[in-house]
Amino acid sequence: MNAYRFNPRPILFALLLLLVAGPLLAQDNAGRKRLDDRYHVRYDGWKRVLPTHIKAQYAGGMGFLSIGGGWDYGARSQGETDLLVGFLPKAYADVLHLTITLKQNYIPWSLRCTERLAVEPLSCGAYLCLITGEHFWIKDPSRYPVKRYYGFPTQLRFHIFLGQRITITTPHCGTMKNLSLFYELNTNELDLIAKCGNKHLRIADIVNLSVGIKIQLMK
Amino acid sequence: MSRICLLITILLLLPGCIEYHPYDMRISGETGVNARNIQRIEEGCRGRNAIRFAVIGDTQRWYDETQEAVEAINRRNDIDFVIHTGDMANFGMRKEFELQRDILNGLACPYVCLLGNHDCLGNGYLIFQEIFGSYDFAFTAGNTRIVCLNMNALDFDHTMTIPNFQFLDNELAHFPAEAQKSVLVMHADPLSDIADRGVAQIFRRYTEHFSSLQFCVNGHGHNYKESDLFDNGTIYYQCDAIEKRYLLIFTLNDEGYTHERIPF
Repeated sequence: MNAYRFNPRPILFALLLLLVAGPLLAQDNAGRKRLDDRYHVRYDGWKRVLPTHIKAQYAGGMGFLSIGGGWDYGARSQGETDLLVGFLPKAYADVLHLTITLKQNYIPWSLRCTERLAVEPLSCGAYLCLITGEHFWIKDPSRYPVKRYYGFPTQLRFHIFLGQRITITTPHCGTMKNLSLFYELNTNELDLIAKCGNKHLRIADIVNLSVGIKIQLMK
Repeated sequence: MSRICLLITILLLLPGCIEYHPYDMRISGETGVNARNIQRIEEGCRGRNAIRFAVIGDTQRWYDETQEAVEAINRRNDIDFVIHTGDMANFGMRKEFELQRDILNGLACPYVCLLGNHDCLGNGYLIFQEIFGSYDFAFTAGNTRIVCLNMNALDFDHTMTIPNFQFLDNELAHFPAEAQKSVLVMHADPLSDIADRGVAQIFRRYTEHFSSLQFCVNGHGHNYKESDLFDNGTIYYQCDAIEKRYLLIFTLNDEGYTHERIPF
């Protein structure tokens, strides 16, 4: 019996289409209003250490749910670095595991659709995810006969992802400036290595879906 | 609102596209594979004095070659069952076990899988247990008792006795009446780098108590080898890793046994 496997091809195709269309649509034509109206607002002084947004992400190889904050930068806030803490509950593992994820996002374009709604046709990036647990290690334990017996860290996975977002601008609502909903298709380095050497593996075998929410904070 | 609830429900129910962690235990598809297949083997071989089985192993990350091996075995009609000596996963990740299981489920005949040292990595040893079953198990194929053992002492960091002498005691004490001979299978031989060499001689003594032990077979070394490991007349056959594209086929009958190493 073959397990159900989801087919990411239509999503990848739509993503590719928007990837091509995105920069064309985001062009700044003279006399016309910019489609990408993002601008970077930053704190001053010591407050620069305060996060510019908070994020929650479901799945994505970083646990059941990960929550954390991050900082954006770039003239149009194209870059984001997040630090997320997640958990893998006992129901899906032997014991409760915690995860710590350092995530780098790049969101090159934003397309203003309505006053309230903007679409980010592409978000991409990479993240490193560390999981806690006594059976996970960075360096092979000393009991093995050679230093690099397995030669890879079970505790640390490197993921890459492609995704899209919609951003909803909220009327002044406390500290929330706007709210983005996003999805991502990710794979990790070990799955990618396996795919490279095997025709039998389909893209769907190595790609996973995750969804999340980002809340942009007011300065 | 109801649409959002529906979307959340769909996301939670789609284990095929949602991965909480590469080592999570949200297993998609069949579990308890060995128990189901052992029942098929025992029923299929009941009352027979002659059996033929194929041994493969170390299929880690070689999905294409594993698929080819399955096709090669299916092209023959004379194999009663297949024994996989372990290392289905290279990194111990859930998806690796699931993919290998789905390929091996394409076999026309039943198969069993042993735990390899790579299968133990991270939560792999638990994922193996869920998908395939116990680390030590035995079954009777015709008049032959096939005893499959966990030999990955190093990966369990001496938290339990490996090989499992209690299991061996139990096997010897309750040796089935219909079995007249035995074969021992393990991932790595008892003198390998991951076995507990300190108990190798005790293990040898145990093997000598098995009724008409024909031979032992293991994987782990990735290259075919046959050796009288303890100079006591018991031959240990080491099967090739699947990338070498060889099947190791054993035929047991009243005259004894023969083995062939067949390329595919």
